[in-house]
Amino acid sequence: MANDSVRTVLLLVTVLGTHVAWADQQSPSKPEHVIGEQAYPFDSNDPRDVDKPPIELPDSVAPKLGLLTPEEIEFLKSGDARAFAGSAEDTVDALNERTPEEVKAWVNAMQHVVEHNHYREGRDSPNIPLNTESPNFNAWRLQRPRSMDPDREPGPVPLGRYDGDGGPPTFGGHPLALSKEDLVAGEVDVAILGAPLNMGSGWRDSGERATADLRLLGWPMGNSDQYIQINASEVLNIVDYGDVAVDNDNTERSMSHIRDVVREIASTGAIPMIVGGDHSLEYPNVAGLADVYGKEKVSVIHFDSHYDAWWGGNHLIGHGYPVYRLINEGHVRAADYIQVGLRSSGPGKSGFKWMRENGMRYHNMAEVEARGWDAVLDRVVAEASEEGRKLHISFDIDVLDPAFTVATGTPVPGGLTMREAIPIVRRLCAESNVVGFDLVELHPALDPTYKTTLNSAHIIKACLTGIAMNKEGLTAKHYLSPLSSEHAIDDYYGDQQQYLDATEAEEEEKDEGAK
Amino acid sequence: MRYALVTLILALLLSPFEGALGQWSVPDSLGAKVSVLNDEQLQFITSGAALEFIPERQLEHELATRDAHGLRTLVDDLMSVAREMGYDPERDMGATPLNIASKRFNRGTLPTPEPLRELKRDAGPFSVHRYLFPKSGVPTFAGAKVAIWPEDLVAGKVDVAIIGVPSNASSGRRDAANGPGAMRATNTIATPDAQSLVKPHDVLSVVDYGDFSVDWLSTEIAVKHVTDMVAETAATGAIPMLVGGDTSMLYPGVKGVARVHGKGSFGLLQLNAHPDSERYGDHTVSDRQAIFLLLDEGLVDGSETVQVGMRGSAVDVDTLQWLRSKKVRYHTMAEIQQRGFDNVLKRVLREVEKGPDAFFVSIDVSVIDPAQMVAAGRIAPNGLGIDEVTRAIRHVCAAKDIVGFEITDMAPMLDVSRVSVVNANAALNACLVGIAVRKAGLDPNYIHPLVLDHGQR
Repeated sequence: MANDSVRTVLLLVTVLGTHVAWADQQSPSKPEHVIGEQAYPFDSNDPRDVDKPPIELPDSVAPKLGLLTPEEIEFLKSGDARAFAGSAEDTVDALNERTPEEVKAWVNAMQHVVEHNHYREGRDSPNIPLNTESPNFNAWRLQRPRSMDPDREPGPVPLGRYDGDGGPPTFGGHPLALSKEDLVAGEVDVAILGAPLNMGSGWRDSGERATADLRLLGWPMGNSDQYIQINASEVLNIVDYGDVAVDNDNTERSMSHIRDVVREIASTGAIPMIVGGDHSLEYPNVAGLADVYGKEKVSVIHFDSHYDAWWGGNHLIGHGYPVYRLINEGHVRAADYIQVGLRSSGPGKSGFKWMRENGMRYHNMAEVEARGWDAVLDRVVAEASEEGRKLHISFDIDVLDPAFTVATGTPVPGGLTMREAIPIVRRLCAESNVVGFDLVELHPALDPTYKTTLNSAHIIKACLTGIAMNKEGLTAKHYLSPLSSEHAIDDYYGDQQQYLDATEAEEEEKDEGAK
Repeated sequence: MRYALVTLILALLLSPFEGALGQWSVPDSLGAKVSVLNDEQLQFITSGAALEFIPERQLEHELATRDAHGLRTLVDDLMSVAREMGYDPERDMGATPLNIASKRFNRGTLPTPEPLRELKRDAGPFSVHRYLFPKSGVPTFAGAKVAIWPEDLVAGKVDVAIIGVPSNASSGRRDAANGPGAMRATNTIATPDAQSLVKPHDVLSVVDYGDFSVDWLSTEIAVKHVTDMVAETAATGAIPMLVGGDTSMLYPGVKGVARVHGKGSFGLLQLNAHPDSERYGDHTVSDRQAIFLLLDEGLVDGSETVQVGMRGSAVDVDTLQWLRSKKVRYHTMAEIQQRGFDNVLKRVLREVEKGPDAFFVSIDVSVIDPAQMVAAGRIAPNGLGIDEVTRAIRHVCAAKDIVGFEITDMAPMLDVSRVSVVNANAALNACLVGIAVRKAGLDPNYIHPLVLDHGQR
């Protein structure tokens, strides 16, 4: 089946001559990332970081300024001084409280701080040097040659003795794949990739424990879905694609390798499903998809209590920056971003104005408070399912209420319930064209009950179910099994017959299929 | 002879496969098998370079069992991996770019200059409590007064400044950033010394000197500021007692002290399950490299460095040989198990005694057994008991002029019981009471007559 759909897409590509770029064809000889000691090759100014306007000072304070040079007076009036001296009124008050000597020391101190805060060549390093002399420089990401293990045919590998069961734990009990050849040979639809990145987090426990615990306790990822009466494992070829290597002493360094591996998965037509790991991951995940499907061809729906479009600090990646960086580098248009569940203390007005002006669709918990969840749900799914969109879902588990996910890096109360989250994720994966998914910020040590891991696994299962529904053509708005969602023994809701008819129709269709 | 040696060294240096330090003799029985390899492949195998990627027994097995094609494929693949091991400026990132356009590039590393401080007050440590005998309130280390500026330390003639360094880049499980907060919130530091009955606060002026700012995303950047701040603190005459943070911060801790007291002017006692002597790492600083950096830069001399409790995964032949070549006095858990802790402690104390007058004492909490320190970031079973650790620390802190103390890598969220925090405080307190005993003019071995035999004969 998977092979058929890949062939169909390739055929369409050929016939229509569209610009869907497959990694094999595009095959960038050099990956698009910083090499050597290069600087960041994109503009790194924060457009929201605008200077405050300068002020005028009344003549009455002239005696206080007697010891200042003209440059110092200009500085005192400038926007730079506003962070310390405040408004014109506050500045006048402050001047009046001080002697001319004190005024000079005060202004000099402000200048010192401003000067200190900016990068200065010679004093500050423009980068974080790595030890390039190390003979083991790339040991962290070197891949084990296939020839070191006994020869086997390519394809997913079941690790257990009993029809695949009974082996070391994998995501949902799915078989293991380790290379692109395995994905292709297995006609894999979904490759679940662990990404134990944790340098960028608040609480920093989203490393290998997160991916290991999701394997240990993530059995729901292989189970049937009662709401839909479908088992994704039977409809889709799903694999555990192992963990991607990360450098947890340097997030930036991990980025290009994660992007390579995501690209590798997507280039086979499989959906990369990345679990981890801190939310810096959204950047390489989506950039890797853009490498395959083309720049500005992928939309992103970002579930999070935070907007993660921060910028302007000394670092270029961290779990607060992936959204801005993706937009800044042209992988995704701001207008192709949908955000759901925001409620943290930031951003302020400048952040929201910037989003509105750039066409980002945000659906904060404030909107949910105003209009109710059901209205927001339908609006979000409709936006995400617009014609032509290829969708990546980035699901930060802190969008859920801490009652459900206490074990996350930066929890914020007032979030979604599991009864809200499961349907929206399932519907998105069924009703829109999902090409990538990530679930991030699981920090198991914060939750001795394992509840957070269980809930995370059920979010992933909701998407797997949705992808299976999509493949089976169950893409009608908010489809639920007519059999499991209504006993239809009486006509309590007045629509008994619809359920009986729909159940019968599905059974007939199944019988047809069997013939 | 000399010519041959030079040739050998040159050959090793010019070898495309760095790290190929030895040769590997193909066992006679496998001589025929390797004949299918070409010269380059053969040289790779006999250089020993392959052993970096495949254990010797496995290589022999592969040579014995593979056909010619399989063997060539394996060796080619290993050579290809070996070529990719090192840095290539055309392929690899050699330095991580920063946002040099940032208006906040160095924000967080500048203490507020005096003219911009809103509150005017006289210099000196101050209490955070309303009551004369407070039982709770704003938590501080040892329930001590707060000092913010160096002039507070000078004005208060402060002996000991306890300082948080909340870095969070442990190579193990991470939450050490919350160590300083947790150790403040559990107020069990500055309890009287049960042996001498000395009360630290009676003898010493102790303050909570706040936290030093660290770059959340770069240990490298954090090092510079922490070094400067430790030096500034030590220069006032106060002893910096640093509370990590992960063990990478041992490097700036000792470096800052050395800037004031002089390189190599003090010895180092280190209690740690891990040697932290990674020599060829791909980073310039990390917990794994802390001791290597201190020795490599001559901040402390190996012969005046005493390491106790090593047993972690990085303890191997190469590392111990390197430590030995640096003359480090190391005492592994194997030695402690063989000879008994009391004997090893005696030996440690004798080595310290023979060392310089001044010492820096550091403990990575991984040295303590997980039973009493489940919150160790780089946890390692079969460790020391907290009583053993506190005895060693107390004695050295009482016997020497302490120039600095550091406790690192306690990750409080890993221990819901909070016993780890209590024991981390006990380790710090052991040094604090040791310093107090010395300040009180008592011998480290002094025992108050009331504490033994119910004080009655």
